[in-house]
Amino acid sequence: MEDILSDILLRVEKPARYVGGEYNLPNMDKPCSHRTCLCFCDKYEVGMSNIGVRILYHMLNDMEGFVCERSFAPDLDMAKELQEHNLPLFSLETKRPLLDFDMVAFSVGFELHFTNIIYMFDLAHIPYYAADRDDSYPVIIAGGPCAVNPMPFADFFDAIMIGEGEINFKQFNELHDKCMKEGISKQEFLKRATTIEGVYIPSLNNPTKRAVVQDLDKSYFPTDILVPNCDIVHDRSTIELFRGCANGCRFCQACFYYRPIRERKVGTLVNYAKALMDNTGYDELSLSSLSTSDYSGLKDLVDQLKVEADERKIKLALPSLRLDSFEAEIYQEMGGSSLTFAPEAGTQRLRNVINKNVSEQDVYNSIKGAMEYGVKNVKLYFMIGLPTETMEDLQGIVDIVNLVKDLHRQYGKSKMLNIIVSTAVFIPKPLTPFQWERQISMQEMKEKQEFLIEKLRMKNVKYSWHGAESSVVESLLARGDRKLSSVIVDAYHNGCVFDSWSEHFNFEGWMKAVQDNNINLEEYTGEQAEDKVFAWDIVDNGVTKKYLLSERYKSRQGITTPNCMGKCNGCGASKLGRCFE
Amino acid sequence: MIIVEHKKIGDMGYVSHKDTLKVLQRALKRGKINVEYSKGFVPHMLTYTTTPLPLGVQSDAEYFGVECTGVSASEFLERFNRSVPAGLVGSWAVELLKNPNLAFIVVASEYRIKASGNLQAVTGILDKSSYVIDTVKKGEPIQKEIRDMIFDIRVEGEEIVCVLATGNINLRVDSFVDSLVTNFGIKANRNGIIRTKQLVKDGEKLVSVGEFLR
Repeated sequence: MEDILSDILLRVEKPARYVGGEYNLPNMDKPCSHRTCLCFCDKYEVGMSNIGVRILYHMLNDMEGFVCERSFAPDLDMAKELQEHNLPLFSLETKRPLLDFDMVAFSVGFELHFTNIIYMFDLAHIPYYAADRDDSYPVIIAGGPCAVNPMPFADFFDAIMIGEGEINFKQFNELHDKCMKEGISKQEFLKRATTIEGVYIPSLNNPTKRAVVQDLDKSYFPTDILVPNCDIVHDRSTIELFRGCANGCRFCQACFYYRPIRERKVGTLVNYAKALMDNTGYDELSLSSLSTSDYSGLKDLVDQLKVEADERKIKLALPSLRLDSFEAEIYQEMGGSSLTFAPEAGTQRLRNVINKNVSEQDVYNSIKGAMEYGVKNVKLYFMIGLPTETMEDLQGIVDIVNLVKDLHRQYGKSKMLNIIVSTAVFIPKPLTPFQWERQISMQEMKEKQEFLIEKLRMKNVKYSWHGAESSVVESLLARGDRKLSSVIVDAYHNGCVFDSWSEHFNFEGWMKAVQDNNINLEEYTGEQAEDKVFAWDIVDNGVTKKYLLSERYKSRQGITTPNCMGKCNGCGASKLGRCFE
Repeated sequence: MIIVEHKKIGDMGYVSHKDTLKVLQRALKRGKINVEYSKGFVPHMLTYTTTPLPLGVQSDAEYFGVECTGVSASEFLERFNRSVPAGLVGSWAVELLKNPNLAFIVVASEYRIKASGNLQAVTGILDKSSYVIDTVKKGEPIQKEIRDMIFDIRVEGEEIVCVLATGNINLRVDSFVDSLVTNFGIKANRNGIIRTKQLVKDGEKLVSVGEFLR
C-alpha cells in the first residue's frame, strides 16, 4: 500500500493532508488492546481545527492501553485515486484501513456533512447501514454537535454519543475494550452500553440523557496538541474558557445545547496557555468560548497572558465578543485592528424577538469605541428570515452600516475603513425556542438578499450571503427524522458530497433524492405543531421543552429574557450539572 | 547568525516549501531560540532558506539560516532537533558573523535518483551540445534548452547521480527526471529523488555548502 500511496500522493493537491507526521504525534506503537479511528466528515484543514476532535484524540491516546488515530474526508482528487487503485480509506498515523480498527468514531459537526459520512463509508468499504454490518466489522459510532438530533443519520451507526465526549466517549471505549477481552458480541456490548449516560443505540432506540462534564476546571484538556505541517483553517492554539452560554439568543442551538454554564479558573487557563505556547510554537493563541467577553475573569486572564504572549511574540485572539460587553480596554490591549460584531438583526424590535440583548445604545457605543481605537475593518453578521421579520428590519441592517460609516467619519482614528456585511438565513434548529418556527421560502430568501444587495452597494462595503438552496437542505436535515437516512444515501448517489463547500453543493441532487423518497419538504421546513413529539425528544438535553415554549411565547411579544449569569432563568440545564454561580 | 544543515526526508517530502518554512519557524519558537524580527510594520522572523524542492523530492542537504542571539551553534542544533517533526533532522550547525546569502551563492545541487532501465544511456547527455525538455511555464507547455544546466551525470549501482543548476538559473530535478523517463525509457519518479548536496563556487571548483561554510 505504501508504494502505491507514495505514487498517488504525487498526483493530488496538498499531499501533506494525507501523511500525518505532525509534531507532538502520540506514540502509536505503545502496547494497546483497543484501537479507535477518529474520523471527521470534512477535509483535513477543517477537521484539524476542531477543538472537540483535538480533545478526544489526545484523551484516548493518553489512556493506557488505548490508541487513537485520525482520518478525514479526502478531497475528490484523492478519493478518485483511492477508488482507482482499490485502496480503502486509511488512518493518517499508521495507514491502517478503517475496517481494521476496533472502533471507528465519526465527529459530525454540521448538517451539510451528512453525505460525507456515506462518502467516507464508501471509501472505507463500510456498508452504509448498521443493520448490514455483522460482528466482523468495527463498532462504528458518531458524535459531535449534530448529535443534538442524530435521527437523520442514526441508522448508519451502531451508537451515537450525545453530549460531551470526555465522559461518554471515554466510558464507551473502555466498555468496548472490556467486552472485546471477554469475547462479548457486538449486540450484547451495545445493550450494555445503554447504561452509559449519553449513549444512544439506534437499534434499541433507548432514551438517554446528554453526558455533561461536571467540573470543567478538572476535565481533560490537551496542551501537547498536534501541530500540522500544512495550513489549516484555524491555525492556532486554543484554550476553552467556559462551556455553555448565558445569553439565550432564541435561534442559537449551541447556547442551549452546551448548557449548563461551566467556567475554567483563570489559573488553570494560564497554565494551559503557557504549556500550549511551549509545546506548539504557534504565534497565535485563541481565548475561545461561545461568548468570550462573558467570561468572569477575562480582564485578569488577558492581563496575565499579555506579558508572556508579548515576550514570545504571540498574538492573543478573542473571538465571539458580544456587542453589549465590548470592552475597549481589553481590545486595546489585544492590539487589534479589526472587529467582528454580530447584532444578528437590524432593529431593536427584532433583536428583542430573538433575545439578542443588545440595545441601540450598545451598538452606538461599541462602534464609537471601536472607531476611537483605530479599527479599520468591521465585520457585521446578521440573519435574515427570522420569525416576524419585516422589510423594516432589513432596512435596519442598512441603517447600522450607515451608522458605522457616520461614526467613522466623526471619530475614526484610522483613515481607512472596510465594512463586511454577512447574512445567514435563519434555520430553525432543534433544542431552541425557535424549533417550532417555519423557515422562509427560497423565493423570500432571494427577495431579501436582493434588497440588501441593492441597498448595500456602497463604497468600502462588501456584502456576502449564504446560499438559499443550501439553507433549505440544512433546515430539512436539522429537524429531520429517520426517514431521511435513505434521502442522504440517495443524495450521495446523486453526486452530493462536501455540501458545505459552495463550489460542490448540488441542490438538484438533493431535490431528486427528496422526490424519489416521497418526502414532503414543507413537513420539515414549515411551522411545527407545538404538541408535536420531535425525533430528538428521546434525549434529555437538560433544557426543558416547557422552557423553550415559554421563550417562544415571549419572543412573540418582544419580551426579552436577561442573561442568566446574574439570576437563573430556570431553563432546566442545571439538573445536568452545576451552572455558573 | 546560525545556519543549520538539515534533512527533509520521509513524509516531510510531501510538505511544500512554504509550509516547511512555517514548520521550521514554529520549531524555533518551541526550542525557545531568541530569533530576531524585522523592524517593519508587520515584523517577521529573520530566517533564510535555499531553493525550494519540488513536492515529493527528499533531501539530505537543506539549509536554514536564523538571525538569533544567545545560543551557540551546538546548543542550537540540540534544540532544533528536539523541536522539529519527524522527517526533519539537523545534521550540523555553524555560527557566522555575516549572512552568506546561500539562496544567491548556491549554483548547483547534486541529486541521487533511484531508477531502473538502461541507465548508462542517460550519461550520453553529457556528450551532446543540446538537450531540450518539455516543461510548463506559467501554465503553458514550453520547450526548454537545459544542456548548460547539467554539470554532471553518472551511474552508481541503481542510481543516477547528477549535478544540476540551482538558484537564479534553476533546473527543476522533477522536470529533468520526467525527460529521462520520456527520452530514455527508464523508470523513475519524484519519490526516488534525493538532493544530497547543494554546491557553491569556490574559484573554479564546485564545493558543498558544508565545506564552504565550515
